[in-house]
Amino acid sequence: MAKTVAIVEDDAAIRANYADMLKKHGYQVSAFADRGSALAAFRSRLPDLALLDIGLAGEPDGGFALCRELRALSAALPIIFLTARDSDFDVISGLRMGADDYLTKDAGMPHLLARISALFRRADLVREAPAEEEILERAELRLDMKRFLATWKGKPVDLTLTEFWLVHGVARFPGHVKNREQLMKEAHIVVDDSTITSHVKRIRRKFQAIDESFAAIDTVYGLGYRWNA
Amino acid sequence: MRLRFGLRAKVALVALVLAPIPWLGYRYVKDMEAVLREGQEQALVATARAVATALHDRPELLDLRPGVAAEGEMERILKSLGRADLRIWIVDRQERLLAITGDLRKKAAPERPPGDALDVLARSLRPVTAVLLERPTEDFDDALPESQISGAGEVRAALQGMAGRRWRNSTDARAVILSAAHPVWSGDDVMGAVVVEETTNAIRSLSDRTLEKVVAVTLVVFALGAVVLLAFASRLSLRLRRLRDEAEDAIDSQGRVKKLIAGSSSRDEIGDLSRSFSTALERLAQYNAYLEKLGGRLSHELRTPVTVVRSSLENLRMTALPEEARVYTERASEGLARLDTILTRMSEATRLESLVRQPERERFDAREVLRGCVSGYASIYPAVRFALSLPDTPVMLRGAPDLYAQMLDKLAANAADFSSREEPVRIRLDEKGSLTVSNSGPLLPPEMAGRLFQSMVSIRPDADPREPHLGLGLYMVRLIAEFHGGEARAANREDGSGVVLRVDCPIQ
Repeated sequence: MAKTVAIVEDDAAIRANYADMLKKHGYQVSAFADRGSALAAFRSRLPDLALLDIGLAGEPDGGFALCRELRALSAALPIIFLTARDSDFDVISGLRMGADDYLTKDAGMPHLLARISALFRRADLVREAPAEEEILERAELRLDMKRFLATWKGKPVDLTLTEFWLVHGVARFPGHVKNREQLMKEAHIVVDDSTITSHVKRIRRKFQAIDESFAAIDTVYGLGYRWNA
Repeated sequence: MRLRFGLRAKVALVALVLAPIPWLGYRYVKDMEAVLREGQEQALVATARAVATALHDRPELLDLRPGVAAEGEMERILKSLGRADLRIWIVDRQERLLAITGDLRKKAAPERPPGDALDVLARSLRPVTAVLLERPTEDFDDALPESQISGAGEVRAALQGMAGRRWRNSTDARAVILSAAHPVWSGDDVMGAVVVEETTNAIRSLSDRTLEKVVAVTLVVFALGAVVLLAFASRLSLRLRRLRDEAEDAIDSQGRVKKLIAGSSSRDEIGDLSRSFSTALERLAQYNAYLEKLGGRLSHELRTPVTVVRSSLENLRMTALPEEARVYTERASEGLARLDTILTRMSEATRLESLVRQPERERFDAREVLRGCVSGYASIYPAVRFALSLPDTPVMLRGAPDLYAQMLDKLAANAADFSSREEPVRIRLDEKGSLTVSNSGPLLPPEMAGRLFQSMVSIRPDADPREPHLGLGLYMVRLIAEFHGGEARAANREDGSGVVLRVDCPIQ
């Protein structure tokens, strides 16, 4: 059965375009223009994945509220913020609301599709036992490439999809410097350099929350980042 | 150098309007003196006539031997008609001196005690006024030489039957003597002449005293006026200068605007000027703030329509299109990519603005950042060489190494774009935390030197349209420099061969 993707977006043209695009990729789409109608529909039937804009008609932060309400309905539902806002504050707020990823609207459809399919794969795997595992292990780091789960010293690290991909990109070849362009490719994003810097900072903080002495991701100024084996 | 007239010099010039006052006083005193002299002349002539009348038709009285003092009747007449300070003498027709009486020299009259404040002042100013005025003296030669008797015009006129008068100097020229002569008749014959003489000292000392007072009053008025005007002008120019200095400093080299304080509350024109300056500067600050926010707002507002275009194109690409249409979608995609670059640049600056507001700082060695960054530039700018010079000791700064690296990226990009490539771009850090990036190439236009670090200011003459430049790079350099407690400056090389961008951050 086709997966259902819900889009909550107040701009009619964007909503219709994304809906068309997702339909072409074989998803079933339900589109909503505001929080009220979306929430009413979600209460009767949850979608398999939700794409939320932050600024909704009449509610500058309507997406945040909707995300919280959606998370209350289902802890496992994949939620992606898709928004024009790209300030660090909005990113952090969005992720704190329990979203799985945060994407700016200039990311482009391929990147969005990569995330949607990855999140669906993960959702499927969580439900059924994994047939085969794909694990990347670097000393204390363990990356489950199928479920997008990261653990450090045995404790799970709550990474978003983008962050997971970034960690994977850096850790794959320890000791090699990965520049920002390479990392963007790994993480299916197109952003400016300082956004990568913010991402890496957030990732370090998440690891440091588990292990204060975490220093595995090195900044090589002017070049990029390196995994310290 | 052009001559500069300050406000005070101008006020002093205006005070010259007062200059005719002493001149008018002088003229007035001189007129008065002329009137008095006229009166003195009349009095002398009258005296001479009286003496002559007394001697009229009494030739025996004139039958005196020359050189012998008058006595008897003659002496009585002369004594009764003469007065102090008068000298009367009589000559016969042969111009021989028959009789003489009186003394031209004044009996030293005691100086009157000063009457009023003006007198006191005039007297205390005498050492000054003595330079300007020649005081009449009683110490003059009152001799009556032969030449004054026989050659004198008034005597000759009198002997011919007409009254005469004459002004002359004393023989030593220290006093002016006025003489009046009148013929003495005997029947129809002139028997001789009476000559009455007096110095003009009385009148001169009167006019001198008056002039002294005029000078005193003028000096006092001038002094007071000068002090008052100078004080006023000094205060004005002080306030104006303070306002000017503040207005000059109100916009610093980074384009930030401060508020004016000088005269902001005074209720005169200077206060008005200061307030309207403040208003103008405030508007400028608002405008600058608007410009700085414009980038962020614009990128945010543009993102939605750009998304509409992008998603439409993506949908279009998935449908079967005729070959002709594919060309156009390709072109649209190219344009979209360019638009994306612009939006990314603008949002990068906006994100940096919020980043530099956060208080988090760490200590780091700037040398390490520089070493890493510069080694990376070789691959980013293959056509440009970089020469790095670092001190031997660590240069510890307080801030964020990521941002410092970002700043260096912007400086390097700027230098690489403008470099004439004849010599390497020189990046130098000294132990005091001063970073310079110097490239050979076109110079900065002088009028841009202060604005280079403002948002949306670019001086690229022939920018590649496919590489949009928004003038945000150096603005970001400034933001990061300030985040590190430093400041950024741009200048041309001293030998005019290129440009030096300089960022001074305090070491910690």
